[in-house]
Amino acid sequence: MDAKEQQLMAEALDRMWAKFLPQLTERVDVLETAATALSAGRLTLEQRSAAHAAAHKLAGVLGTFSLTKGTVLAREAEILYSAEPENDAAAPVRLTDIARQLRVLIEQYK
Amino acid sequence: MRHNGRGEHCVVPHRILIIDDEDDIREVAALSLETVAGWEVMVANSGAQGLVRAAQYLPDAILLDVMMPGMDGPTTFRELRKNPVTARIPVVLLTAKVQSSDQRRFADLGVEAILFKPFDPMTLATQIASALGWD
Repeated sequence: MDAKEQQLMAEALDRMWAKFLPQLTERVDVLETAATALSAGRLTLEQRSAAHAAAHKLAGVLGTFSLTKGTVLAREAEILYSAEPENDAAAPVRLTDIARQLRVLIEQYK
Repeated sequence: MRHNGRGEHCVVPHRILIIDDEDDIREVAALSLETVAGWEVMVANSGAQGLVRAAQYLPDAILLDVMMPGMDGPTTFRELRKNPVTARIPVVLLTAKVQSSDQRRFADLGVEAILFKPFDPMTLATQIASALGWD
């Protein structure tokens, strides 16, 4: 690809980011809701499953938009939700922090 | 670009089918392969739809997501292989799973290659072409 083609591709990716931003934000919402419920000792199986799926999807896509740190954070959340975070004393604080960091990363991108 | 039956270069672009339930991944991958490589891209949003489109369009290769609701990637792959019409289409798995046990399990399926999410939209076509010996 020459420089002009790369520029066109970058612009197309920017449009994709704008298009899918609401969807990405919704996935972070799911992570925040689950982390809040976990902290309160009320995480349901459904919330855990939804948070696991949301984290998996974020891990797969954020790096595609050059947000490598977002992929690393989401992957950590995916691993924590795939185990039993209810039995991990450190999980509520960590998962809350991951959701917060993902929110900031996504909001500050572009 | 492809070769014709006589080994001559053709100007016909590669045709690839992307099967992925996540619309953001599917659209970015399609954009990447169309824009960077000039390939002709078809998409399907589920394994079931992918089976139909693969038989209908007979693409040169299939980029197949692993984790999908309903029919997952490995099951879709086995169904593609069962159908004589689609059995010989090369399949490249696309997965966000990075654990080595998962990678071994996917490799045992007999797919041509395994690529990992997140992918770089600027180099995805090169990775696929390299995996399939198209370069």
